[in-house]
This record gives sequence, structure tokens and C-alpha cells, in this order.
Amino acid sequence: MAAGPIKPGTDGSASDAMLAVGKFFTRWEESDDGRAVFRQGGRAGDVFYRDRWSHDKVVRSTHGVNCTGSCSWKVYVKDGIITWEAQQTDYPSVGADRPEYEPRGCPRGAAFSWYTYSPTRVRYPYVRGVLVQMYREAKERLKDPVLAWADIQADPERRRRYQQARGKGGLVRTSWAEAVEIAAAAHIHTIKTYGPDRVAGFSPIPAMSMVSHCVGTRFIQLIGGVMTSFYDWYADLPVASPQVFGDQTDVPESGDWWDSTYLMMWGSNVPVTRTPDAHWMAEVRYRGTKVVTVSPDYADNTKFADDWLPAQAGTDAALAMAMGHVVLKEFFVQREVPFFTDYVKKYTDLPFLITLTPSPDGSSLVPGKFLTAVDLPEHSAAEDAEWKTVLLDEVSGEPVVPNGSMGFRYNKTDAGKWNLDLAGVRPQLSLYAPGTEAREVLLPCFEAPDGSGSVLRRGVPVRQVGDKLVTTVYDLMLAQYGVGRDGLPGEWAGDYDDGSTPYTPAWQEAITSVPAKKCIKIAREFARNGEQSKGRSMIIMGAGICQWFHGDVTYRSILSLLLLTGSMGRNGGGWAHYVGQEKTRPITGWVSLANALDWSRPPRTMTGTSYWYMHTGQWRNDGYSAGSLSSPLAEGNLAGMHTADTISQSARLGWMPFYPQFDRSSLTVAEEAEAAVAAGQADDAAGYVASRLADGALKPAVEDVDAPQNWPRTLMLWRSNLMGSSAKGNEYFLKNLLGTHHNVMGNEAEAGMTRPKEVRWHDETPEGKLDLLCSADFRMTSTTLLSDVVFPAATWYEKHDLSSTDMHPFVHAFTPAIDPPWETKSDFEMFHLLAQEFSRQAATHLGVRKDLVSVPLQHDTKGQIAQPGGVVRDWRDGSTAAVPGKTMPNFTVVERDYTAIADKLAAVGPLADKLGFTVKNITYKLDHALDWLAQKNGVMLGGAGDGRPAIETDAKLAEAILTFSGTTNGELAVHGFRELEKQTGRDLVDLALGSEEKHITFADTQAAPVPVITSPEWSGSETGGRRYAPFTTNIERLKPFHTLTGRMHFFLDHDWMRDLGEALPIYRPPLDMHRLFGEPKLGRDGSKEITVRYLTPHNKWSIHSEYQDNLFMLSLSRGGPVCWISREDAASIGVMDNDWVECVNANGVFVCRAIVSHRMPGGVVYVHHAQERIIDVPKSEATGRRGGIHNSVTRLLVKPTHLIGGYAQLAYAFNYLGPTGNQRDMVSTVRKRSQEVTY
Amino acid sequence: MTDIVLWGVLPYVMVAILVGGSVWRYKYDQFGWTTRSSQLYESKLLRIASPVFHFGILAVIAGHFFGLVIPKSWTEAVGMSQDFYHFNALFVGGIAGICTLGGIILLIVRRRTTGPVFMATTKNDKTMYVVLVAAIVFGLWTTLASVFLGGHGHNYRETVSPWFRSLFIFQPDIGSMAAAPFSFHLHTLVGMLLFALWPFTRLVHAFTAPFHYLFRPYIVYRSRDVRTAPGARGRQPGWQPVGTRDRDRR
Repeated sequence: MAAGPIKPGTDGSASDAMLAVGKFFTRWEESDDGRAVFRQGGRAGDVFYRDRWSHDKVVRSTHGVNCTGSCSWKVYVKDGIITWEAQQTDYPSVGADRPEYEPRGCPRGAAFSWYTYSPTRVRYPYVRGVLVQMYREAKERLKDPVLAWADIQADPERRRRYQQARGKGGLVRTSWAEAVEIAAAAHIHTIKTYGPDRVAGFSPIPAMSMVSHCVGTRFIQLIGGVMTSFYDWYADLPVASPQVFGDQTDVPESGDWWDSTYLMMWGSNVPVTRTPDAHWMAEVRYRGTKVVTVSPDYADNTKFADDWLPAQAGTDAALAMAMGHVVLKEFFVQREVPFFTDYVKKYTDLPFLITLTPSPDGSSLVPGKFLTAVDLPEHSAAEDAEWKTVLLDEVSGEPVVPNGSMGFRYNKTDAGKWNLDLAGVRPQLSLYAPGTEAREVLLPCFEAPDGSGSVLRRGVPVRQVGDKLVTTVYDLMLAQYGVGRDGLPGEWAGDYDDGSTPYTPAWQEAITSVPAKKCIKIAREFARNGEQSKGRSMIIMGAGICQWFHGDVTYRSILSLLLLTGSMGRNGGGWAHYVGQEKTRPITGWVSLANALDWSRPPRTMTGTSYWYMHTGQWRNDGYSAGSLSSPLAEGNLAGMHTADTISQSARLGWMPFYPQFDRSSLTVAEEAEAAVAAGQADDAAGYVASRLADGALKPAVEDVDAPQNWPRTLMLWRSNLMGSSAKGNEYFLKNLLGTHHNVMGNEAEAGMTRPKEVRWHDETPEGKLDLLCSADFRMTSTTLLSDVVFPAATWYEKHDLSSTDMHPFVHAFTPAIDPPWETKSDFEMFHLLAQEFSRQAATHLGVRKDLVSVPLQHDTKGQIAQPGGVVRDWRDGSTAAVPGKTMPNFTVVERDYTAIADKLAAVGPLADKLGFTVKNITYKLDHALDWLAQKNGVMLGGAGDGRPAIETDAKLAEAILTFSGTTNGELAVHGFRELEKQTGRDLVDLALGSEEKHITFADTQAAPVPVITSPEWSGSETGGRRYAPFTTNIERLKPFHTLTGRMHFFLDHDWMRDLGEALPIYRPPLDMHRLFGEPKLGRDGSKEITVRYLTPHNKWSIHSEYQDNLFMLSLSRGGPVCWISREDAASIGVMDNDWVECVNANGVFVCRAIVSHRMPGGVVYVHHAQERIIDVPKSEATGRRGGIHNSVTRLLVKPTHLIGGYAQLAYAFNYLGPTGNQRDMVSTVRKRSQEVTY
Repeated sequence: MTDIVLWGVLPYVMVAILVGGSVWRYKYDQFGWTTRSSQLYESKLLRIASPVFHFGILAVIAGHFFGLVIPKSWTEAVGMSQDFYHFNALFVGGIAGICTLGGIILLIVRRRTTGPVFMATTKNDKTMYVVLVAAIVFGLWTTLASVFLGGHGHNYRETVSPWFRSLFIFQPDIGSMAAAPFSFHLHTLVGMLLFALWPFTRLVHAFTAPFHYLFRPYIVYRSRDVRTAPGARGRQPGWQPVGTRDRDRR
């Protein structure tokens, strides 16, 4: 093209000539340059485009899926049909100088409306064909639903027949009336015959649709059933959070990433799994924030990173320990940073004193327990002295008992002293000083790849306090990390290049393959940033490191970096753990109504992992002793114990729940107890139960979990796809729980395997424990295909509900865009129909009964100061007395009017007025809230709920949840802070003051996402438009953490923690599945198969199992089951991209296509989470049966330290603490299979 | 009798279907009135095959016009000999026919072998391709046959052409057509079938070829006409007028 100005015009003379011809025949007005023509009219075609964007209505709703997104969407309806959805853009602004939340949403959410009219939609109620034939025949004969159900269950042949039909099709359409009748009859039969604690329900993640979760849970709790947990079961719970913070999990909203100045992503692939929030991470880079990722593969987030640390899968703690080594050496020992030392003295347990006790062989010393006021003669008489920890005052050099430890929380004398105010005391961080006595300590270490332990000899400065030899946690930390100081005994790391001594940068390089230099560089940058920005270093951590067997240990080693650099409790700093949409912002209203605390207390909640581990027979395949995980310095508390034994002991000591409770019905036990009390044989029911347990007349059910009377009998699933998604050890579920065909290939009876001592072994494996599997869903899933009764549920565009998340501070609504089509009904309506039918049938079969409820010692109640010292004292071996609520669970008698379940479900009960609702030891009085709700919702007329505030529709229940929570009802927030001020003696109420008038109603949440009110239910503040960051109230207002010391913990002194060698942050390698369970060794063995780590990260094309069968997502992705494998591994077994392969181990088989990719490291395969068996799953060569789901190759492994309870922050609460259902340590053999697949 | 049906009735039925079908399609399926372009899925082959076919078929249409519409007497009147006519028909017509056939074969191969293109092909179009290819093949055969078989062979300008012209004055010259050989009958029948299929296939795009685009500026601004101005819509039955007096006055 010629240079110079370009003249406007057409292409050239030919064009001009043609235009001239055209012009000759027309009379239109044209522009001079011949490029535009002007005409009037002729716009009739516009109508189509106008019509295309005109709708009957646009409705606000969202997706009730566990993605943490909680994105508000516009749902478009045209001619009564949902046409599509688009992102809402009306999120309140987050401030002038920062990006906004809107728009939020990802391709998965944008594909949702496809489900509404899709072929996979469940349109009618279904019942298993063979079952309904039996049922109709029996009912015809016996004229009663419950008798008919009992008749089928009493006949092993018929029972087996319909159980074996599970998962094979054969579902037939039925009426709602019949489906509800069968489900109700099964529940009543179970309660009548075996007891209510044989009834189970499961529905995860309340925040993703609170009303739906609430109503079903409420039904299960009203009838005395068991709700199993999800957060720990999903292994989303970072057990390190209760261990370190004494909090389930509290994390910053994603808008707070913008406040960070150094942002690490550690095992969290933000663009894939936090898609609507990832923009903050990309945007903050424009502010100069450095972004660093740690992931074994070249993950999607790595392309945003300035530095990438490709640590081998599962070795992250080694990297973190080495970074900690650098931070401690350069920022604490070589140069003291006042910002860091002030922080750790005030907010962590580092200055606290630990006793040193003789090592098991007596040759040296090991760290013992926290020194407490009991050990100080002048303080030993104080109330709860065993729970008051001790530090040294730098000035006086004398031991002092500072405020804020657990001992100040629960007694009246110390009211107002539960705070972190040091009152002039200057904590002494280290005892190290010229002339101080120093002693050698032994510390455990697990550097060998096979996981076996070794012993490190290090030294600490010590001093004598009373008759105890003590040192500080800080001195132990330096010893643990190998950061030496002159004059201390023991063997220490040389410089950073010392590759043979844990935990140097060179040492970690051999394990993680991250270069030592890089490790040093990032550690220095990270700490320097903390120093300069005052704690604005943030680590986003996720499932990639959390869901390992030793994920808690990995987390503690990483959290230590944040604690040492003063980053926790800061805007822009600290941890950001986003695994599971765990933040139900209006927590008090939801948790109280869901557990029906307004009608009866306590509820039965259960740790999912131990429940399924025991009831699906996975313990029978778990032939190792907990001792094999132990430290070489262990004192033998776990020696020789099978994991099932640890579960049994944990339940017996009141640490963790277990249901069913006893070897007989809890109704029977309650009646026996009442009779005994009436006869004067016992003071109270609890005492009677304790004595019967002590004398062995009553046995915990867990000790004979396979006996038919102890089986779970009914399982209700809604908002969940257990058998297509979260059921780790899926094939064991099929075999043991459901009694249908399965792909389990392991031989549980193998000789030489450790068997439990306390849990009875049945030679014949019980199969088909469950009488009824009942599910409600809007799409056909692996779970509905296995169910006996399937209810057609309304979708998220067809009901009223509420959504919230940890990623943003808003609460917003689900709104029906259309009425539920075909015969579908909302979960809310389904449970009410079920409750009504249940109450009807109960009139004949149950009536009013007493129920003895056993619950463990709970966190944020006095139960957490039940067992001092973290010492295992078992009433069974006589080392302590059997005292309910102290050395064993609490036992309470609850009255249940089984004929009034429907009435109670629909009204707020009287205990709300009488007792209020309690969350985190703060009781909210509800007088005003109840009056308001009664006026707003009206009251029920007649029945058990007569005159009580009505919650008989989903919208009204949503209103109630919002009304009973501080985050959405300012009056309660203010009230709660006033209560907390009494406990802490600190000024707090200003955080909510001025919000008394604010009451977020359901209508508000329908109009736009509404920011929540600062409330003591959570640990951070939104006051004044501030971005939410966790623990800012603790740091700024000196409110204690809910831990033993009231500070964040590096040191955990419970017996089991010490025996596992995890008292301090440490590295533990992934489990050696070969050594522990005889699985094949990792790597190639020369044949055409390879053994690799079998990892199940989250999927880019689905949210768990949701959307993976969605036509749009199938089109966008490869579709169908796939595994990602490295080029080298694929080449070694002759696999080309898209070839069919099989992942096989003793647990089962997964058949899929291989995606051969350079982004994968060798030695691992990625099988994206929740690929279930409904899309393109052929028969396997391994068994000839249909290949399973991703979880067919996994099985549960329970870590005993997660079972600890009754001890300060290590105490049970639902989803707060419990064994994780981790699955990342699995190994699997991958082999190429015949490319000819059959279905 | 067969001749009456074939050459006296069928042509009008065909025209009825073509016109009626097109009107119906235009009324009810304007957004389906498209070539269903597959250029997005495959463009390399298309870039060659499509012009070859389209220019070929334009020449074929011109040839048909020359042979069918212009009476033999007219060409003779301007001194065009039968030999010259035939040479032209064979040479120009042959090249055009071979281009058309080559083009359509390439297009069909492309359509069959490119997965996404094949998936985007309707059943009607598949049928149409069969008929279209048949029409082209039989047409080429008649051209060649009329030249190479038996001297100058059959002179369609004395049979088919008069019949064709007679159709337009509703006086079908059935005898002339009946006298034409089988190959012409076959080509004509297949041709009529093709026109009957026309409205129900992508062929409709021929009616709306954007010919005018070549002769107008490429940006068209359309201002509102009176009908679409606010308030200009007439009173609808069953609706009370809503509005202000101002509007009524205007």
C-alpha cells in the first residue's frame, strides 16, 4: 500500500463503475464516498430481534451446586419456557479504588437451563420395579404400608432380589402418593424395629441452597435420624484449621485478594475451580502483586504466575518446612524483625511453656505437654487451672498465666478475662541466653519415602519451673526446623546446601524436585513482603494439598509460614482455603432450624467418614494398625490398634459420635432408663446408661457394626449424588451397603492382616445392609439409578431458596422462573409430603416415644474442657470413671411425638423462645425476632404447632433463616457482640452498632445480592464497607481464638498427636500403599502397565458430577470418562491420545480414554473428580462388568488423629472436626485395553 | 395416456409445487431460507469447488435458455448453421457441464468426508444432491448423445423445445415431446423432480442471491418508517386505547 493519507472511498475503479450502474437505477441518497446509503423503512425484520430479547419475565436465581461461586443469575422465561440465563451485574460496589464483583458466572452455570427440559430430567416419581411389585402384593394382603414393608424385609430372598436389581435400570413410574407411602413406611418400620438412629440422611453444603438442606435435615432430626457430615467426609475440611485456629474454616472473600501484595496459590487452581473470582488474581498483578504457584502439573493458574514451584504431588510440606527453615533463620535468629516477634508473642502459642519429659527409652528428652496453672502452686487452685497455659514474663523472668486460654472461657469467676490482653506482661519468646542450661531433645522425622520414622537429635534451652523442666514452643520450633544457635546440643543443619539434614532447602530439593535456590528465593520474598507490607502475604490453598491422608500436616507446615510472618487476621494476608462452599452466612438460623433445635435437643450428627468406613465394610479391607503410622518416639497409645478400634475408642470416650449408638434401639434404652430411674435404681437416665455401659450390659453398636440390628436401614439423599461423586470406596458401597453387583477385587480375608480387637469380625461379609435408598434429584445420576425410590425434584430455577459463599459477602435468592414442570416438586414440598404421610402412619405404629440420644463432647461448649491434658483415659480399662459428658458421651432423653412430625416441620417450636439459639457459645435471645416472624409469616392453626410462627413454605423458611441470624438481622448481631463483650471484657459491639435497624429480608435478597452484617458468628468484619478477612476481630480486638491457649497453635500436645509425631509442624510423605497394603510398587515393571498415583482433582468442564452430562459441556470438553497422563508414561505402555485405558486396583476399576498431555508430570494420572457412570462407560476387561466412577478406585483411609475429641480445640462439632475422607494417596495400575469397547 | 400425464400434467404440478412450496417456505421459514453455509467448517475445498460449480451451472442455465427458448428458425434466420450450433452446444455446453459435474462431485466429496459439514446436512438436501447429480449426468449424456450418436442424432430443437415453449401458453405440444428419445425424457423428468424439490431444500438460496449487493454501497442506514414510529400502531381489537390526549390529537 502506498504511503500517505488514505482517501475514503471504495476499492477502485471497478467498484466505482458498478456503483455507478447501481446508482443509475436508483434514487437513494448516498454518501459522497460511495460507501453508505440512506433509506427509510424496511425495518420489518427488526421485530424478530426485538422479540428475541423480549421475555415474559427475567428472574433472579442461582445454582445450588458446590462450586463456591454463588453467582447470581438472570433467568429468562419466554412463553412459559426457560430459554437461557445470563450473569447478574448488580452486586453492590466493593469500593472506589478496586474492581467489582460483577459479573460472576462461568460456562458451567451458563449451561444449566439445558437440564430443565433435557432427556436426563427426572419427570415423575420412580420406584424399583421388582420392589413395587412385592410391595403392592404385600399391601394387598396385609392392608397396611408398614406391615407390607416389614413383610418384604423379613424375607431374605425377596430382599436380596430387589437389592440386586439396584443400578440395573428397572425403575418404573409411580404416583407421588405411593412413592411417599413406601418411603414413610420404610422409615417407620426402621424406627419401630431397630431404632431411629438406624435412619440416615445425607445432603451436603447447606450454603448452596439453605432452605432445601434445612427442611430435609429438620425432618431427619425430628424423627431422631442421623445426618452424616460432608465437609470432613469430602476431605475439604482442613483439619489443620481446628488444630491451629480452633475454627472450622474462615477465609477471606475473593475481593480481599486485591489487598494482597504477595499471592501464592498452593494446590488451588483458581481459574478452573474459582472461575468467577479468578479475575481478582489477574487484576491484582496490575497492582504489582507477585503471584507464585505450587502445583505438580503445569496447571491453568501457572500461566498467571511469576514463579512456579513444581513440587511433586504430595510433597508440599517438605517445601513448606524448608521455607520455614529459611524464614526462621533469616527473620528470627540472624535478624530479629519486631513486627514478626511482636505478632507471634501476642497471637501464637510460641512463647508458651512446654514440659520436657523423658523419651520412651529414657535416654533423652522429648517435648511433653503445655505447662498449665496446675503446675504452679500459686495458681493451681484457680478455676479450670488445667486449662490455663503458662508463659514467662520477659521482665520479671517469672511464669505468668495470661488471659485468654481455654481456662478463662467457661467459668463465672473469669468472666471478662477471656481475651488476649497481656496487661503489661511481655512474653519471653526464647529461653536462649548466655549461660542458660540447654538439653538435648529427640524429635520425630519422616523423611523416608516409605513413611517410616526416624529420630532427630536437637537441643533446646531449658529452665526449671517447679518440678518441671520446660522450654518454649518457639525454642522447640527452631529445634524442629533445624535452625541452630551456638551452644545448643544436638545435630543441626549446616548451611542451606546441607542436603542430608531435614529441613534445609537442599534437603527438600531431593524430595520435591523444586530447586533449593528457588525455595530460598520465594521464602525470602514471602517473609520480606510480610515485613514491609505488615502481613499482606496470602496463600490460596486448595484440594490439591488438602485431600491427602497427611493433608493436615501439610497445611500446618504452610500455615506456619503465615503465622511467623504476621499474616493471619490481615486484609490481604493469611490463608485462603476454598474447598467446599462452607460459609452459610446466616449460620444461626440455618443450623438451628435444620437441627430442629426449636423442638428437641440434641440432634444426631455424625462424622461421614467414620460412618461410611464402618458401615460399608471398608474397615474389613484395611489391614494395618494405626501403630504403623506412629512416631519412633510414640508412647504406645495407638500400638496394635486397627483403625476400627480407634473409631470405637473415640466414640466410647465421647470424642467423636457414632451411630447407631447401642446394640439395641435407642427407644428401648430410653424406656429402660426411665424405668430404672422410676424404680430408684439410678439417679438419672444418663447415669443409668453409663453404668450399663460400664458393666457391659449395654454395648456400643460400633463394636459389632456388622450385626444386622446395627445396620443403617434407610438412607435419604437429596441435593447430593453420593454414589456418583463423593462415595470414596464406591464399590464397597455397592457391595456392602447396597448389596448389588460391584467391582471389588480385593480379598479382605487375607491372612496376616491386622484385625480389630474391639470390633467384632463376622466371617461372612454382610451385603445389602440398606433396606431403602431414597433420593430426590432433578437429573438421573448414578445415585438415582441405584435408588429404590426416586423423587423428581425441582431445579434451581423452580423454587425459593437462599445462597451464600465464602467467596463474596452477599446473600441472594433463588426464585422460581417457572413452576416445577411435569410431576416435579421442590425438596421442600417433598419433605412436607413425606412428613405428613409419616405422621399418618406413625399414629398406628409409633405414637409418642422417648429416645435416648448420645452425643459427643462438643466444641464451643463446656465439653471441650472435659478431658484435661490431652491424656487418653479410658473408662473401660478402669483408668477413669465412666462419667457422662466428661469421660464419655452425653446422654439425653428426648421425647418424640411421631404423629406430629408434619406439624413441627411447618412451625418454629417453643424451645426457640425458651432457650434461644446458640452458636459458638453465644446464645441469641429471639423474643423480638420471633414476634416479627410471626407477624410476617403468620402463625399455624391447630396441631402441635398451633400459634407458632409459620414456616410452611420455602419462602417463609428462608425468611426465618434470615431472621434468626446475626449476619442478616442487625439486632441479633448487636446482641451477640454484647454477650461476647461480657465473656471477653473487650469492646466489640461497635462492629455492629448502627446495624440494629438492618434486617435483611427474603425480599431484599430477591431484589439484589445483599452484603451481610458483621456478626460474632464469624471472625472478621465487614463494617464500614471493609473486605472480609478472617480473624481480624481476634487480631484487632484481642478476642481469643477458640484454642487451648487462646492463640494460634504450632504445638499440639494431645497423646495421639504426640504418638503420631505431629506435635509440631512436620513433613510426612504420601502413604506408601505398597508397604501398608501390598498395592503394587510405583513405577514401571517392564510389562505393558504402569503403577501411578491416582489423583482426582477438580474438573474444568463440570462441578463435581453436575454439568458433566450437560450437552453443552460435553461439546466443549472431550466428553465421557478420561484420565490425563504424561507423554512418557503413556509411551511406556503404548498408549496414544484418546486410547481406551483401564485404571485398576483392589478397590475396583475405572475405564476411560487417555488424554496424553505434556502438562502432566510422570508418575501420576489425573482422573477428574466425579466422572460418573452415566456417560459413555463401557464394560471393563478387569471384571467384565461396567467400569465404575472415579471413586471406584479409591477407598477410605482414616487418620486416627482426626478422631481426637474432648480436648480444647480438638473437640467435635458437625463438620468442624472429624476424620477426612481423603483419597489422594491412592495408587492405581494403568494399562491399555482392547480398543473395541462394549456397553 | 402416459404421455399426457408426463408431458401435459406433470409440468404444471411441478410448477404448482415450486411456486406454492416457495411461498409457503418464505412465509413460514424465513430464517431457514439459507444456503446453510458450511464455510466455517471447511473452506479450502469450498473455495475451489463452489465457484467451479456455480459458474458452470450459470453457463448451463444460459445454454438451456439458448436451446429451449430461442426457436430454431430464429437462429437459422440469422444464418447460424446446424453444425455451428452443435459445435457450440458441444464445446461450450460440454465445458460448462463438465465444470458443473466436477464442481458438484468435489462439493459432495467434501460434504461427505468433512464430519461437521456432513452433520450439518439435512435429509432433504441429501436427497436433493442425488437428484441434482442425476439431472447433470443425464443432461450431459443427452448433449453428448445428440452429437455423437447417429450423425447429428436427434435434434431436440424440433421436439423438446417446441413442447417447452408450448407449456407457457397452456397448449402443451405433447406429441413433440413424446417423439423425443428416452434420454431426453429421463433428463426432463429428473429436472422436473429437481424443481419440485427446490422449495424444500437449500436451493431456495438461488431466489435470493444477493445480486444487488454488487451495485450498492456496502453500508445501508435505514431510518424508521412511519409504521414503526412509537404510537403509530393502529388500534388493536379488544384493547382500550391507552395514552394521553396529546397523542390522540396528533
